[in-house]
Amino acid sequence: MSGTPVGAGAGAGAGLPGGQSLFAQAPEGAAAEREQSAVRGVLLIMTVLMVLPVLSIISLLLIKGLPAISLEFLTQFPESGMTAGGIFPAIVGTLWLVGVSLMVSAPVGILAAIYLNEYAPDNWLTRIIQLAIVNLAGVPSIVHALFGVGAFVIFMKMDTSILAASLTLAIMTLPVIIASTREALSSVPMSFREACWNVGASRWQTIWHVVLPNSISGILTGVILQVSRAAGETAPIIFTGAAFYLPYLPASVYDPCMALSMHLFVVSTQVPNVPEELPYGTALVLLGLVLCVNAATIVIRSRLRNRRKW
Amino acid sequence: MNPKISVESLTVRYGGRDQPPALKDVSFTVAPFTIFGVIGPAGSGKTTMLRCLNRTLENVRSSRMEGVVRIDGADTAAIRPVSEVRRRVGMVAPLPVGLPMSIYDNVAFAPRMAGITDRATLDQKVQTCLQQAALWDEVKDRLDQLGTKLSGGQQQRLTIARALSHDPEILCLDEFSIAVDPVTTMRIEDVLLELKARMTIILVTNLVQQARRLASTTAFLLNSELVEVGPTDRLFSEATDQRTSDYVRGVFG
Repeated sequence: MSGTPVGAGAGAGAGLPGGQSLFAQAPEGAAAEREQSAVRGVLLIMTVLMVLPVLSIISLLLIKGLPAISLEFLTQFPESGMTAGGIFPAIVGTLWLVGVSLMVSAPVGILAAIYLNEYAPDNWLTRIIQLAIVNLAGVPSIVHALFGVGAFVIFMKMDTSILAASLTLAIMTLPVIIASTREALSSVPMSFREACWNVGASRWQTIWHVVLPNSISGILTGVILQVSRAAGETAPIIFTGAAFYLPYLPASVYDPCMALSMHLFVVSTQVPNVPEELPYGTALVLLGLVLCVNAATIVIRSRLRNRRKW
Repeated sequence: MNPKISVESLTVRYGGRDQPPALKDVSFTVAPFTIFGVIGPAGSGKTTMLRCLNRTLENVRSSRMEGVVRIDGADTAAIRPVSEVRRRVGMVAPLPVGLPMSIYDNVAFAPRMAGITDRATLDQKVQTCLQQAALWDEVKDRLDQLGTKLSGGQQQRLTIARALSHDPEILCLDEFSIAVDPVTTMRIEDVLLELKARMTIILVTNLVQQARRLASTTAFLLNSELVEVGPTDRLFSEATDQRTSDYVRGVFG
């Protein structure tokens, strides 16, 4: 390099002067090897950094929460002002909330995604809808909570109930379900659709017989991941349907319920003299539930992927 | 003789009116039970023209078509449902597409979508179509295997078998030899010459000599325009347009 002195101004004006490469000069020999291992090392450190919090959270919960876990803890009501007893109504409540919200968000989200991906013309209305979905995904969960209170609890007179809380959760998870379903649908090659149209299959026949069977694993994965998100959220249910304490189980969707995430918040901040293992035990159960759902996702995914056909 | 297909001032744009047309004022007719060759360099509008024939252009977002395509004198735009047009006009895409299902299901797909469920009828149909596409002997013992696992040449013949499975009156082939070896190409060409007795064939090809071998009439498309159409012999020996004779002699393209 030292043999060809080049003025900076001349280089900028006249393109690439002789001897100068468009790309960074690759170092040679030992320097190249040092660079390789440095890059590799930095990437490895970042990866380990990411794993550390996960491992420490899980081990902390196991150490502090495991002593609380027992059959009674999982199957009985809280006692003595929630300083003792079990978390059974909270587990039941979380299952209610997740189940009902899923019954709303999964069909609406999947069908909306099918429309947007397979039918919608490319016009201003479609673009506005897509913009709305992206923005809905970015709304903070506490804002969803306020909307739920205004729309469901007060305006639609649902009161604080499983229904109001589930609908709030459904609205929160919908945009992500739509996005992940669209992703799965567009992973099916366009040529398959064209081949079906070419032999006289209608749009719906094509979707039903070719597109959906080949994207169902991706669609399910997206939906199930939102289950774990809905199970963990506290803000959207705190004003809409989750109760501080209830001495009975909900009988229908019009009753309020307890929930694991809410219960964890309550016993760790709102109630005095709670033994330490109680909130940790609750957190462990919540985390276990979410991890179980994630594991189910992985199983479904690998099962369906084994049958991948192209 | 009345033409099988008649295309009248066909103009197609992708996007708004300001976009340059993909096809500009194209008109021609195709006689029944003949092979009609279409030649022209890449981007000249050949595939767009085929899409107009079976109305799959409607599935391309933001496409606009002006002009009329008639089959047996009837405007295809007025035929309902649109799947009726697609059933009558078979289409073979340039790259072979085995649908992600068994070989049997690939061929039985169109009859099933049309409502045929009788197993014996389907069996017969699958066998006939695979035989016509010169694929039967190679796959008859493994019909339950995935169509996508066949070799490229086999998949292309599977695509042809699928296109025959809905008894089209017109068969369009879009550069079918792109993805197959010369031997398979020759076998398919023989198949086409046999099929000509039963249907009208539109053969879009990037091989000028292939059109010369098979087509009785040939059209030359260039830059979205139909430069010349006429009997293949005349087009190859004494083309009216200088660009046509240059192209068929391999001066450009």
